Amino acid sequence: MNNASNNSESANPPLGGGGAAEGFPGEIQEVPGGGIVLSKLDDVINWARSNSLWPLTFATSCCGIEYMAVAGAKYDFSRFGFEVARASPRQADVIIIAGTIVNKMGPVLKRLYDQMGDPKYVIAMGACAISGGPFFYNTYSVVKGADHIIPVDVYVAGCPPRPEALLHALISLQEKIKKGMTREQIKSGI
Amino acid sequence: MWSLTNISTGIHDWLIQTFNPTWALIIEMVIAGIAVIGLFAVLGLVLVLMERRVAAWMQIRLGPNRVGPFGLLQSAADTVKLLVKEGMTPDGADKFLFNLAPFIAMMVAMLLMVPIAFAKDFQLWDLNIGVLYVSAVSSIMVISILMAGWASNNKYSLMGAMRSGAQIVSYELSAGLSILTIVVLTGSLNINDIIIAQADGWWIFKGHIPVIISFVIFIIAVTAETNRAPFDLAEAESELTSGFHTEYSGMKFALFFLAEYINVFIVCAIGATLFLGGWMPFHIGNWESFNHVMDYIPSSIWFFGKTFFLIFVIMWFRWTFPRLRIDQLLNLEWRYLLPISMFNLLLATAIAILGWHF
Amino acid sequence: MFRETEIVKDVSSIPPFPQDAVQGGGGAGDLIINVGPQHPATHGVLHLVITLNGETIKKVEPHLGYIHRSIEKMCESLTYRQFIYVTSRMDYLSAHINNHACALCVEKGMQIEVPDRAQVIRVIMDELTRIASHELWWGAMAMDIGAFTPFFHAFREREKINEIMEETCGARLTMNYYVPGGLRADMHPDFQKKVKEFIVLFKRKIDEYDELVTGNIIFINRMKGVGMLSKEDAVSFGCSGPAARGSGVHCDIRKLYPYAVYDKVEFDEILETGCDSLARYMVRIREMKQSVRIIEQLIDHIPEGDFQAKTKAVLKLPKGEFYTRVETARGELGVYIVSEGATTPYRIKFRSPGFSNLSALDSMARGSKLGDLVAMMGTLDLVIPDIDR
Repeated sequence: MNNASNNSESANPPLGGGGAAEGFPGEIQEVPGGGIVLSKLDDVINWARSNSLWPLTFATSCCGIEYMAVAGAKYDFSRFGFEVARASPRQADVIIIAGTIVNKMGPVLKRLYDQMGDPKYVIAMGACAISGGPFFYNTYSVVKGADHIIPVDVYVAGCPPRPEALLHALISLQEKIKKGMTREQIKSGI
Repeated sequence: MWSLTNISTGIHDWLIQTFNPTWALIIEMVIAGIAVIGLFAVLGLVLVLMERRVAAWMQIRLGPNRVGPFGLLQSAADTVKLLVKEGMTPDGADKFLFNLAPFIAMMVAMLLMVPIAFAKDFQLWDLNIGVLYVSAVSSIMVISILMAGWASNNKYSLMGAMRSGAQIVSYELSAGLSILTIVVLTGSLNINDIIIAQADGWWIFKGHIPVIISFVIFIIAVTAETNRAPFDLAEAESELTSGFHTEYSGMKFALFFLAEYINVFIVCAIGATLFLGGWMPFHIGNWESFNHVMDYIPSSIWFFGKTFFLIFVIMWFRWTFPRLRIDQLLNLEWRYLLPISMFNLLLATAIAILGWHF
Repeated sequence: MFRETEIVKDVSSIPPFPQDAVQGGGGAGDLIINVGPQHPATHGVLHLVITLNGETIKKVEPHLGYIHRSIEKMCESLTYRQFIYVTSRMDYLSAHINNHACALCVEKGMQIEVPDRAQVIRVIMDELTRIASHELWWGAMAMDIGAFTPFFHAFREREKINEIMEETCGARLTMNYYVPGGLRADMHPDFQKKVKEFIVLFKRKIDEYDELVTGNIIFINRMKGVGMLSKEDAVSFGCSGPAARGSGVHCDIRKLYPYAVYDKVEFDEILETGCDSLARYMVRIREMKQSVRIIEQLIDHIPEGDFQAKTKAVLKLPKGEFYTRVETARGELGVYIVSEGATTPYRIKFRSPGFSNLSALDSMARGSKLGDLVAMMGTLDLVIPDIDR
């Protein structure tokens, strides 16, 4: 799909810190001469959207258990407002692809993504959703990365990622929304 | 000085002096409308946040506490997001009914605000058939649910809506019969009369056995009527996705979401008014000094305190009990609650005639 | 080296799912609905095509394959030490037990003698995994039935077990701790202390959970008499584990074909004769108590010695076929290796417990209501990647 050609470096200012000296990976810094101009109303709307992300319950395999652990009492993600997990894609904002996507599941994922209402965001959780993960070599049925099917905003590494890593990913998504840097926002020109 | 009664009589007097009576009435109606809508918005935000914090407290975790101080702006963020979310209408849906359903739900909730007495002498309209009005108007809720389920053109929504319709219609009977117990004991359908009759003690204490039984039945019935757990089959997430509001998104979904919480507030307000005395402070018979001390607390605080206590109890049910299956739910109503409430009504009538209550 | 598979380019060329069709004639008034593959319940990607008449189920057809990751084919290109990591991801809730089965099969083929210390620690880890898996099952089952709070209580205990695992094995969920010959590393010095603390806490909690959920009348009414699976049916479908033990079938591999040190510890095999969902539920709750009993017997008596037997650097199984079976939290897992004498197996087949348990769902569900399906699937405790491999 459109991830290989639409490399974000060519069209947009570089995101994230350049190295260890420039800040924490995943943080978005303003670069002089770049950036997108946001109005005050957009700021308020982006603030509201970032603080009320409702995930779609979509867990295919082992990463789903770590997702449930994040929902649990020890690493509580309801502190940020995420616990309202809606089962219907029409009411969800973010789809957290937790688990491997195989060839048979691909069209289902695409259909779910299409049913979600704008604006929608995608987090690819775990090595399987990023690139096929441990099932990369010598498999005939695994889609090597969920971004072959739908555009992804945040990638979380790990097999499975620790709950803190998923929380970091969610907070990075919040930052991206506030700065107007998610794929949805770039596409619609906010 | 801050009592709501003084403020409302003050405004009324000023309006009568400044404008002619017709204009004054119209302006009062507009003010009342704006106040109700404002109360809605505030209540909706407060109840959504309260539900999440209460749930978190019972589930040994913290609820939303990052968005604004103590998470107070969480509901605001949710509302703004829902307002600007894309509102999709499915292709094969009946457009008129699909768009109408959430508005009917809100309309019912607003109409039910009318006879509720928030404080002493602070009622929108003191109907002489207040209780009957409440019972009748709350039955219209079922129409909006059936409309939503039918117009969505989706099997799951339709199944959810049918289940919900059956449930609400059945439980209205028990709720109505338990309200009738109080009416029988008071002898009037007027809400103000019922509250005044509790000046020497709330009905739940004065009316002992039949009133306690009908209070319990009332709480169970209104939990079922507002589709709250353990009777939330219509929205059972693990079975039928989101039930009758699967296809709604954006603003219309926000209206359904809000209407559910406002309904909970209203039925708890009715329960507090009929059984726990409404805005009447806690008086014990003829203990004058104690009653006098209780009178210092403003009546609006009493009303809201009782209502929020009942809301807390209903939220407590949700996070404690598993869900009932549809046939078990209807069984509970028709085979247990209805006969008990009918028998209870007879008992209350006998007690009222013989004067065996306090 | 690897083949890029043909990704589906055009969604419209995929045949649609069986759409709702009101069948006249043969099944007048029947409605066909799809449950899944995306489930709000935490079972994973299972697609059920249910034929309903009103609220009564007439037929349930599971469609599998939505998480088929070609694990068995992948294992043909991995050596005997490498393929163990991939089996952790098969039934990820009993990851240790899966690894144990694979290690046992290779040890059987190469005739490696595992030292006692490794065997005892393996059994302790297995039982801790069983407790963790049953805890998650309990929490998820209660959430499906509608009570949301036990989920958080269950996860609280699971986090304690995960902490213990993380200290010793390095990972919380997919730990590759067993190698053919023993363990990858010795246990952490704090291991015994933490496990003992956990046991003290857990014994108190499990009684509390029993009261909270099992004693609740709504819960019992949802599960009693629901999903009857007779003993003959359980045997003929090949069910194993708690699903079969709830119908009175004597099938605990730890008792029938003991491996590791299971023949040296005392524990009961829990059998119930109710044949309904409540019986299967009680079997699992009591199994958790038995696991605690096993751990208590072993935790203070871990023998000193090596944690890993000396093996060759490159493992080559002799030509032939080898089979081992273990008792996972779901039932009987079998590992079958066909070897041609090379460093990688010729064929590996896993006999998964979930596959056979799922095949009993149709006969259990006929005649029940749609709301009961959730209770039935909950008590079967299906983990779909285990079924699809």
